[in-house]
Amino acid sequence: MRIFVCVALLLAMAPLGLPLFAMTLLTEALILGLLAMSLDLMVGYTRLISFGHAAAYGLGAYASGYLLLHTSLPLPFAVLAASVLAGVVAIGVAWVCTLAKGVSFSMLTLAFAQLLYAVAFKWTSVTGASDGLAGIPRTAGPFGVTVFQTKNGYYYLVLVCLLGAYLFCRSLVGSPFGAVLRGIRENEAKTLSLGYNTRLYKIAVVAVSFALGGLAGALYSPFAGFANTELVFWLFSGQVLIMVIVGGQGTLIGPILGAAFFMLLEHVLSQYTESWALFFGLIFIGFVMFAPQGIWGLLTRRARA
Amino acid sequence: MALLELDGLTKRYGGVTAVNDVTMRVEAGEVRAVIGPNGAGKTSLFHLITGVVTATSGDVRFDGRVLSGLSSYQRCQAGLSRTFQLTSLFPEMTARENCRVAAQARLPRRWQPWGGASVFGEASKRGDEALERLGLSAVAGRPAGLLSHGDQRLLEVAMALSQKPRVLLLDEPTQGLSVEETLTAVETLAGLFAGGGLTVLLVEHDMEVVFRLASKITVMHRGSVIADDVPSVVKDDAAVQAAYLGGYA
Repeated sequence: MRIFVCVALLLAMAPLGLPLFAMTLLTEALILGLLAMSLDLMVGYTRLISFGHAAAYGLGAYASGYLLLHTSLPLPFAVLAASVLAGVVAIGVAWVCTLAKGVSFSMLTLAFAQLLYAVAFKWTSVTGASDGLAGIPRTAGPFGVTVFQTKNGYYYLVLVCLLGAYLFCRSLVGSPFGAVLRGIRENEAKTLSLGYNTRLYKIAVVAVSFALGGLAGALYSPFAGFANTELVFWLFSGQVLIMVIVGGQGTLIGPILGAAFFMLLEHVLSQYTESWALFFGLIFIGFVMFAPQGIWGLLTRRARA
Repeated sequence: MALLELDGLTKRYGGVTAVNDVTMRVEAGEVRAVIGPNGAGKTSLFHLITGVVTATSGDVRFDGRVLSGLSSYQRCQAGLSRTFQLTSLFPEMTARENCRVAAQARLPRRWQPWGGASVFGEASKRGDEALERLGLSAVAGRPAGLLSHGDQRLLEVAMALSQKPRVLLLDEPTQGLSVEETLTAVETLAGLFAGGGLTVLLVEHDMEVVFRLASKITVMHRGSVIADDVPSVVKDDAAVQAAYLGGYA
């Protein structure tokens, strides 16, 4: 907990010391961190491998973008509404996907995400098709709060969301509900025979995961000012999964670090080569082979030794 | 009224009748063993009772309530806790955590998505009690996957026991154990059953285990019940001897 407060304070003071472009990068890293952390609930804690988590992000991004463009809803409410929407949609998706297990489950999540991708491409009146939604405004908050309209103000909104989501997830995985998730991860058949309706638990965790992933997407589109089909594309789903695995699955913190690492590396490598993804792929393979516990695993092992 | 009643229970897979018109009454407090040669339908019967497969015809009644249509987790919630023929545990959790998760399943706030100190406290209490009764307290802190095979078999019984079941269903509790391990396991189980208060249905093919533990025995052969009585009578039953020794004697 002490470490958590230290990191939170450090992040809160970041705008005082960092130049504006670095703050932009940091804001995006935190948003991606939130997305990766939300996926960790499924992948790391329940062993539900989703190949379609971009669906959560895209749902949130398009929903908040649409609300901000076409209604006068204050920004925090639009973001919240988009997050709730993603969670509610996830209940239906999870109901279908949990009919299958293992690889079939993963394939169904991928299929659903691709379905959403196709919808985003075709539903011109709502999603703007291949142009996407552009010029998404950061509207003033309720009661005349305008602080989110500035870059640093928006950073604080993102930071509060991430820290809040982290504390929420931490409490969730440590609760009786979390203990059942761990049971499902290790031995689903046994968990079922012990009297747990495992499917219901899985649907619940997918809904929570999607709501938080949707929150990340909902924060992204007003930050970037646009939402396009790339946010729902399968490639992005794969990248988020890589962030979780490279960061260290089943740790919540790890995936946040993984997301930051991914962004930083993309930023640095792309200055030297266009095929930065190739090098990132090699790094990913290295992690899977030599450090399956990920970045966070390496850090904590060093600390314990 | 018997606690667990099977009425004309039948399961067909295509042309094969795995369980054929089985009727059986298990009274509260008895230790009932279902025995029979390989392929007699013991495990299929077990699956029918626990809801893993659905019956072609016939009923399972538990405490007067028909269980048809209830899935396996609902039957467990009704009070039927089981173990598996092939050990099924949470290998990365400690023995204590295994029992805690098992006990948690029977608490009303098992799903609570926050805090949970009181839920965990009560579940741990029940789990530790069960570990103690099976003589596993010494290894409670070890990951279940690292326990000896004998201890793993007993841990599964402890998990079922920590749910305070009304009927404890054991699927070949000594499966795959060495001679010495079997002896230890059987003595531990005998001590547990001697304490009374438990209703047990166990499937087993090891005769020595059965005669040591069971107060009543049901013998199955090719899907049907051919004998159903106290051990001393079953031992001398001509049909049973024929089923077990037929073709060899």
